[in-house]
Amino acid sequence: MLPLRQPFDVAHDDAQTNAAQTSGAPMTLGRAIVITSGKGGVGKTTTTANLGVALAKRGAKVALVDADVGLRNLDILMGLESRVRHHVLDVLEEKVELDEALVRDKHFPNLFLLAAAQSREKDEVDTESMRDLIEELREQFDYVLIDCPAGIEMGFKNAVVGAQEAIVVCTPEVSAVRDVDRVVGLLGNAFTPKLIINRVRPHLVHKGKMLSVEDVNSILRLPLLGVIADEPDVIVSTNKGEPLALRTDTATAKAYHTIAARIAGEDVPAPMVEYKETFIDKLGSLLGGRR
Amino acid sequence: MKARKIVLTSGKGGVGKTTATVNIGAALAKRGHRVILVDTDIGLRNLDLVLGLEKRIVFDLVEVIEGRCQVRQALIKDKRFESLAILPAAQTRNKDSITQAQMARLIDELADMADYVLIDCPAGIEGGFRNAIAGADEAIVVTTPEVSAIRDADRVIGKLAERSIPMRLIINRIRPDMVRSGDMLSIDDVCEILSIELLGIIPDDEEIIDTTNRGEPLVLGEGYRLRSIYEKIVRRLEGDLIPFTNLDAPGFFGRLIGALKAG
Repeated sequence: MLPLRQPFDVAHDDAQTNAAQTSGAPMTLGRAIVITSGKGGVGKTTTTANLGVALAKRGAKVALVDADVGLRNLDILMGLESRVRHHVLDVLEEKVELDEALVRDKHFPNLFLLAAAQSREKDEVDTESMRDLIEELREQFDYVLIDCPAGIEMGFKNAVVGAQEAIVVCTPEVSAVRDVDRVVGLLGNAFTPKLIINRVRPHLVHKGKMLSVEDVNSILRLPLLGVIADEPDVIVSTNKGEPLALRTDTATAKAYHTIAARIAGEDVPAPMVEYKETFIDKLGSLLGGRR
Repeated sequence: MKARKIVLTSGKGGVGKTTATVNIGAALAKRGHRVILVDTDIGLRNLDLVLGLEKRIVFDLVEVIEGRCQVRQALIKDKRFESLAILPAAQTRNKDSITQAQMARLIDELADMADYVLIDCPAGIEGGFRNAIAGADEAIVVTTPEVSAIRDADRVIGKLAERSIPMRLIINRIRPDMVRSGDMLSIDDVCEILSIELLGIIPDDEEIIDTTNRGEPLVLGEGYRLRSIYEKIVRRLEGDLIPFTNLDAPGFFGRLIGALKAG
């Protein structure tokens, strides 16, 4: 059985940090968290965008960093692609100041995006400069969320170098579990990665056609931040550039807000997805289980 | 006769490259061809899992390149088809363990032993991507109808075009109901943006999840909806002119739900 109540071990209060930074007290550095997975397409960027929005909604100052040089997408998910003028490499190469490269979010004045370069290569990023850049961001922000590219090449190393915490995103597929397991190994002992299990389809789990949360975590054995269901509205929100966490009324939006609360140190249970038999399911089984 | 050397690539991860490689490979084998599938995702291999061959791995691609074993020793024959084999990637090595020239030589060597060599490319456009395309003379670009996947595919198409590699497109995980309601980009939208020849359209179907997890390619099973879709893709690959399935025609169940909603 999994521990369902697993708040972050380092309690952290957004309001306190803000107060400390404005009152000139000894400066507290923000938390740099890398969101990674190994396998692509499991929802790293979607998770980064939604947790960014959810943390910003709580009043925290949040910077989102797209580390996927050459294949950036976080700007699209945030609906900010036409506002991006400069990118990470411009800052690293000192062509522009950090403040000029940060794009302010449309909805939250305390949420910013630092876009990746699209027409450059990942090996053009200097790992040490990247570490310094994340540190500089931590001086200004409560949270720095780093969206890691797929794979475990240079892009992964540069995304991880400045982070102190890691969130790994996994889907209930054997291939994704194997890749996450490998990434957890590569992250090493400096990190205690927290797990988000994404794209769970409860009716498939119920039928035994998809790995369950327990199956996934019996292999990975990581502290669980939460479980997110596979809903078609994720695709719609990606295409529209409006993260689901902008709302508060849908199940998926609520799950992101709960995960954000857990990241902030609140002792609330991890969001889970439950199987509920719908009318269509009943009808389906009646008609011979076509779906 | 040398084999056709085809790389399956996408830029974005998780769009279905490995699943497509395995099902196209198995469908080709079923048609009597000798097929070798090459997993180039060094460090994050998965092709072996999707075919259920993970327990049979003895040697891997890097060991072949380093001359520690013969190619034939590293190839794993499929349990179901003698004519289908995989060359697994190394799991505990880095993608920079090999060079593009070494990969090109290896793919060439494999091409002497088969009719088709399908190369499963890792996500991204880093060294692993450059290695995977080094030995290929054709490409299949796999994408999904999402803005992010299409932008990444476009970037990959540019890189393949630089090397004059001919390419065709598979659009994966289409949900006809969402296209109809305007919540998903249509086939025409995607083709217009990417403007390369279309090879296949694969609907989003839950049966793929279970078969992938069990390591049983659905083209080898019975009664799967996606089987005929893959078989048509393979026939197009072989030069047959096969019309595309009209996904807009709702099936019995779709009509029933439509009627219930309307009522």
